[in-house]
Amino acid sequence: MRILLIEDEADLLASLAKALREEGYAADTASDGEEGLYKATGVAYDAIVLDVMLPRMDGWEVLRRLRESKRTPVLILTARDAARERVRGLDNGADDYLVKPFDLEELFARLRAIIRRATGQARNTIEIGEVVVDTAARRVTLAGNPVALTAREYCLLEFLALHRGETVTRTALYEHLFDEDDDSLSNLLDVHVSNLRKKLGHEFIDTRRGQGYCIE
Amino acid sequence: MKFFHSIRWRLQLWHGLLLVLALAGFGLTAWELQRANQMGRIDRELEQRMGIIEGTMRPANAPPGERPPPPGKMRLQPREQDLFNGLPGQRFYYIIWLADGRKGNVSESAPANVPRPERMPGPPAFRSRGPYRECFHDTPDGACVMVGRDITDEAAGIRRTAWLLSGAGGAVLLLGLAGGWWIAARSLRPMADIRATAEKISGGDLSQRIRTTDSESELGRLSLDLNHTFARLEAAFARQAQFTADASHELRTPVAVVLTQTQSALARERPAADYRESLAACQRAAQRMRGLIESLLVLARFDSNEPAEAFEPCDLSRIAADSVELLEPLANEKNVSLALDVSPARCLGDAGQLAQAVSNIASNAIRYSLPGGCVRVTAHSEAGRAVLSVADNGPGIPPEDLPHIFERFYRAEKARSGGEGHSGLGLAITKAIVEGHGGSIEVKTELGCTFTVRLPSAP
Repeated sequence: MRILLIEDEADLLASLAKALREEGYAADTASDGEEGLYKATGVAYDAIVLDVMLPRMDGWEVLRRLRESKRTPVLILTARDAARERVRGLDNGADDYLVKPFDLEELFARLRAIIRRATGQARNTIEIGEVVVDTAARRVTLAGNPVALTAREYCLLEFLALHRGETVTRTALYEHLFDEDDDSLSNLLDVHVSNLRKKLGHEFIDTRRGQGYCIE
Repeated sequence: MKFFHSIRWRLQLWHGLLLVLALAGFGLTAWELQRANQMGRIDRELEQRMGIIEGTMRPANAPPGERPPPPGKMRLQPREQDLFNGLPGQRFYYIIWLADGRKGNVSESAPANVPRPERMPGPPAFRSRGPYRECFHDTPDGACVMVGRDITDEAAGIRRTAWLLSGAGGAVLLLGLAGGWWIAARSLRPMADIRATAEKISGGDLSQRIRTTDSESELGRLSLDLNHTFARLEAAFARQAQFTADASHELRTPVAVVLTQTQSALARERPAADYRESLAACQRAAQRMRGLIESLLVLARFDSNEPAEAFEPCDLSRIAADSVELLEPLANEKNVSLALDVSPARCLGDAGQLAQAVSNIASNAIRYSLPGGCVRVTAHSEAGRAVLSVADNGPGIPPEDLPHIFERFYRAEKARSGGEGHSGLGLAITKAIVEGHGGSIEVKTELGCTFTVRLPSAP
């Protein structure tokens, strides 16, 4: 899952990006509205965390322009908690709203929720045969037994599971699993896929030659 | 009794009292005039008849060929007799008492048992006795002539007049009271509106206004004045609410930094360098909050109108020079040159506060200058004022922002630039300081912008 953070307070931006990466997300950052809009329209993010008070272009404008072309889930992050502001945010196309100061856990939970809703999942567990992916707890079980996965492996599995039945291209996987600061080599993707197969069964992930991967 | 405290009831009470007094005065006067008039007429008729009778009693007036009547006796001619044969109830009568107390001539119409009046020398006198009015006169020879008449009808007439006057007075009183009640109600009606509005406002709805279309009457003017006051009150409350919201908003971001940094740092074991980084970020956030809290306290002190500390003579040029020296590092960092051009400009004030004001304006100018720009600080004395100005050749302030730059938390750029410790309160504090010193501050923007502070000068 790749997330864009648009926030002008440098310390907050850095700590959020770090925390998200530790959760296994790929996190890109932008410190003003123009840069944020540029990135948001250029990359297929799974979610965007958008501060309202931004230099150069405020969050409302970013949201308005983004909605002209993209349906990326947006979580508005702001210091103003007047009901009027919340209504305005949601009416202008935001998917959720969080008021500063917030707990990291709540931010993560809300991000998971808007990503889940955007992929059409109503519940936070995905069952694929004997494999159960719990997107809230970020845990995977095989026939009831917990499976130990690295953060990256989990993200790869979650992404494929959320797009179950679709063929996910390698490009899409790179776009959604690695952020702009990652310098992972392309064969790392194959390493993660191969590790997942070892842990969950070889047939679990299909390789579509020249196209990508798929979970049936 | 509660209604005695009501203005309307008190107005009505006084109004009614005055009306009763006026009506009673008029009524009594009218009745008395009518009665006196009636009695006067009756008395004149009695006197006239008395004259006739006394005339016939005088021996010299006896008709020729007849013996003059003895004292106390007389004979009336038939024409004169008719004078005593009026309608029943209006009939005149006469009684003559002789000097020895016996009755002389008595008319047929005279009532029985008429007592002889007290002897009273002089002109004819009058008395009222029951339904009779009588005129009597003691003649020089000791006899007493009395002429009287029954005045039952006239007395009834006078009583009728009294009733009529009372009735009319009562009707006028009722009309007057009703009219007074209506007028009082009408003129006090705006009071009910004023009261209802004031109640709603004290209940917390500051947007209420008194409905009034009339700007001339006393209550109309009062309503306008009150509406004006309410509007100012509402604006002050809105400003205060906005200020509180802004202040809490400004504090939320640094708190968010502290929360995310600490929650993230504590989530797992980390190398020492990570903890140091988190602590440094928390420290920056805390310093920003400290700066904001100090600014808020300064403003709160100005808002509460705390008595100014004793002002001392100080020189604005010295203060400007000191501030410029302190700002050199910031200017160097921004690659902005600082120019100073001062001549003595003495004023009364708190040197510390004035230095803060000058440094706020100057650091603002440096911050908004482009690299390579120049900020020029001047101070001089002019026409009883100590004048300080800070001019830069930066991009200037957009016209739409110009009226707002002294507002609290207003920023030309609609975003925080918290990293520089810039809270959006600097110019508001500057304005509060300058006005606290009885001075004024203005800003012009043309080829950069110029802030000018004028303070009353001191010898």
